[in-house]
Amino acid sequence: MLEALLQGLLAVLQVKAFSFMLLGILVGFWVGLLPGLGGATTLALMLPFVYNMQPVEAFAFLLGMHSVVATTGDITSVLFGVPGEATTAAIILDGYAMTKNGQAGRALGAALTSSLIGALIGAAALALAVPIVRPLVLSFGSPELFMLAVVGLAFIASLSAQGVRGMVRGFIAGGLGLYLAMVGQDPQAGVARFTFDSLYLSQGIDLVPVLVGLFAIPEIIDLVVRGSSIAGTTNPGRIQGALEGVKDVFRNGWLTIRCSLIGTLVGIMPGMGGAVAQWMAYGHATQSARSPEERAGFGNGDVRGVLGPGAACNSKEGGALIPTVAFGVPGSTSMAILLGGFFLLGLVPGPEMLTTHLSVTFSMVWTIVLANVITVVLCFLLLNRLARLTTLPGHFLIPVILVLVFIGSYTTNSSYADLVVTLVFGAVGYLMVRAGYPRAPLVLGLVLGKIAENYLYISVARYDAAWLLRPFVLVLLAVAVGVVLYPFFQLWRARKRARA
Amino acid sequence: MRSLLFAVLAALPLVGAAQASPYAGKTVTIVVGYKPGGGYDAMARLLARHLPKHIPGKPTVIVQNMPGGNSIIAANYLYSSAKPDGMTLGTFNRNLPIAQLTAVQGVKFDMRKFAWIGSAANETTVLTIRDDLPYKSFDELRKAKQPVVIGSTGPGANTYDFPLLLKDLLGVNLKIVSGYSSSADIMLAVERKEVDGRAGSISSLRPFVERKLVRPVVRARSHDVDPTIKDLPTDESLAPNPRAKAIMALRSAPELIARPYVMPPNTPPELLKIMREAFVAAIKDPAALAEANKAKLDLEYTSGDEAMKVLAEVLNQPKDIVEEFSKYVKFGE
Amino acid sequence: MHSRSSLALSLAVMVASGAGTLAALDWPLKAKLFPMVIGIPLFFLAAAEVAWILLSKTPEEKTAQAEISPAIARRRSLLGAGWILGLLASVVLLGFPIAVPLFVFLYLKLQGREGWVISIAIALGTWGLFYGLFDRLLHLPFPAGWLLSWVGFFS
Repeated sequence: MLEALLQGLLAVLQVKAFSFMLLGILVGFWVGLLPGLGGATTLALMLPFVYNMQPVEAFAFLLGMHSVVATTGDITSVLFGVPGEATTAAIILDGYAMTKNGQAGRALGAALTSSLIGALIGAAALALAVPIVRPLVLSFGSPELFMLAVVGLAFIASLSAQGVRGMVRGFIAGGLGLYLAMVGQDPQAGVARFTFDSLYLSQGIDLVPVLVGLFAIPEIIDLVVRGSSIAGTTNPGRIQGALEGVKDVFRNGWLTIRCSLIGTLVGIMPGMGGAVAQWMAYGHATQSARSPEERAGFGNGDVRGVLGPGAACNSKEGGALIPTVAFGVPGSTSMAILLGGFFLLGLVPGPEMLTTHLSVTFSMVWTIVLANVITVVLCFLLLNRLARLTTLPGHFLIPVILVLVFIGSYTTNSSYADLVVTLVFGAVGYLMVRAGYPRAPLVLGLVLGKIAENYLYISVARYDAAWLLRPFVLVLLAVAVGVVLYPFFQLWRARKRARA
Repeated sequence: MRSLLFAVLAALPLVGAAQASPYAGKTVTIVVGYKPGGGYDAMARLLARHLPKHIPGKPTVIVQNMPGGNSIIAANYLYSSAKPDGMTLGTFNRNLPIAQLTAVQGVKFDMRKFAWIGSAANETTVLTIRDDLPYKSFDELRKAKQPVVIGSTGPGANTYDFPLLLKDLLGVNLKIVSGYSSSADIMLAVERKEVDGRAGSISSLRPFVERKLVRPVVRARSHDVDPTIKDLPTDESLAPNPRAKAIMALRSAPELIARPYVMPPNTPPELLKIMREAFVAAIKDPAALAEANKAKLDLEYTSGDEAMKVLAEVLNQPKDIVEEFSKYVKFGE
Repeated sequence: MHSRSSLALSLAVMVASGAGTLAALDWPLKAKLFPMVIGIPLFFLAAAEVAWILLSKTPEEKTAQAEISPAIARRRSLLGAGWILGLLASVVLLGFPIAVPLFVFLYLKLQGREGWVISIAIALGTWGLFYGLFDRLLHLPFPAGWLLSWVGFFS
């Protein structure tokens, strides 16, 4: 095992493999930065280039590209309030708020450092999971997936403002998200639900146009209204504080690790989808608030709201590789495409990847590690330059961002209806911001609605009521209850402190 | 003046070459009715790499994705908006003839009016069950006392429709559990023994058959059947009555043209001819075959005329069969 | 304003969940279970929010943007929304390849009051990124006019 670990490292460090990895990083860097241009699409487009490569080179290229996308996607989200990737939207809430407060450097420092730590933890999980990967993945069946979705939905409580009124608004947003997830043909009876006889809606609402509308459009209007640069007038000329962001991550080290583990866990679950990880991590990060004032600070630029999602987004990739490698069953869209890469190279993912081809598996671990280290170092070098963009007068950025937002949303289905969805959710997002509704529950509902519905039906159809007694189901149920009750506990603790 | 003359003379050979082939210096677009990453897209990209060398004039061939509505949107576009100038090819959901037959909302095309190039592959749907189950053959499966649980994505997919017909028309003791996010997720459910099997195309199931996770027990009709499953019974051969047989045949017909390729209606016949010839040549090209083999894609040629025959079979069904069929099968992916 | 936004939102949610629940009534049990379980509570939550707003006497204050007067803020919001809708209209009518540089140029020139050189340079730069990456490299289909593109949309 140790020998394979070393062989894997040596394989990645070969000149050819290493240069392919650098090439992959270069491509992934831009794919991540540009909103809408997704990692999965790019992987599909790059597949033909791997025909003549050796396995290790090909994975250095594909994985190198793939691991970088999440990191640079965070940069776009933090600096411009536009989700660089569908999986990096959660970091906008506090990341962009920090940028508007003139703390772009600190936010980026925190985002990059937590990304790196997340990636390392995800890769470590992949490496450590090798001996136990089969029982580990097999112990998570449909009932557990359903319960994990329930845990995710329970975070709606944490993502809402405190107090009854805040909860009502949070649950309206969450319910709306769940409702939107119902659009499209249902997989049980085959009924076309809420499609208004339109072809565009017949396969459901896509996440990207919704996210882009919900987050980018209100921020663009806000920038027009303020009539200044993104960083506003608070900007002291030169942006500093990246180091402060790095320190923030270590100050909140334990939180970063917990969020990384959440990301890894979500990544391992096939069918959960990458977008879930960041939001669950964000929900968890808000739980670290010790007083109502601290809680109210989330969404207005609390650094914990940056490093939590940043860590989860990168750690999920290591997790997602686990089912892909061990069973030939991809944990996400990107992994499904990567699986195509396995076939191209004559590798059949499955138990052999953990025995005969173990060094290939470890070369993937090393690729994730190296690609992330290189990217983060690269980003730190560019950081000041990037952050300075936020001091440009708004009217330089607005048209360019708006055009990229439009193209990004259009790439989803190459349909003008994508643009209409973006604008509709732009209006919804705008109203939500004005009215003080949290947007996070809406996204959580949208990404988890289908999973919750389908896996509940499967659990009942397959196990009747017996699934309720499965040990992991009970554990997750306890976690869900804990997550729902935690905000009330926070409130109680704060009151007690105030009295004391 | 003289230099102008020279320039014209010098350009003449080039003009000659351009006139020799309507495709010289042009760009041919393959419109795919799905997002990048799936089987239809992979096939289109493979053909885009190998078609140019077989088309006189060596045009550039690019792939454009136009997803949505299970590729009805792309088919509508090809039918009424794309120019019939020979520069646009299209590939879409093989089940679109079913969509037309059952008058699915939004269908604005007549499959028979496309300029058919042919199909680049045919699929054989099989039902596979876990290798460790006691049923070694379809006969034994039919006698199963305990319901055999089959995982599926949902109505309209062959993971659902094929076992549904086996269950309802042949009375096999199956329990279909639907709602899995993808066929890959069903495989994981098979792996953890949450379900006992899954139906699907043999090309997607082959890796799992080879590593003895599942075994195929029954298949749908097809031509050029994979030798490893050739001897399996077909669902139609076991049909208890002609009506059941007709419904099964209707379900499986589109699989004979599993990767359909068309040009817009009214494409000039000479351009269609060039494209048809290039299509055969590309599919039979050893380099393309080697690549397809690597990517685990099946590459088999079906001519445009044969595709038209399949369409006729699907679209000329009597009304009562169509009604009966619609009770079981919904149009889907 | 704060509560007016909330009123608009919660009324919209009430209408959507109410209409959705009515539509779901005709479906088979398996298809309607989730829409009902979510839709009905959603309707009542939104109704509670509406009642809250209508019954509360003191409208909540909006906190942000203290330095910009509400009138200017409203005018600029409408202006921003107008530009966004303008981009949509120009994309639909003219197609992306023309709309992209045109929009960037017009925004810089009219809204930003930048000089000709800078406006044209940035417009061309954006167009170059658009053309090189999305058109040449990714081959996204960008229909030219609006007639071609409405096929398949809400049909």
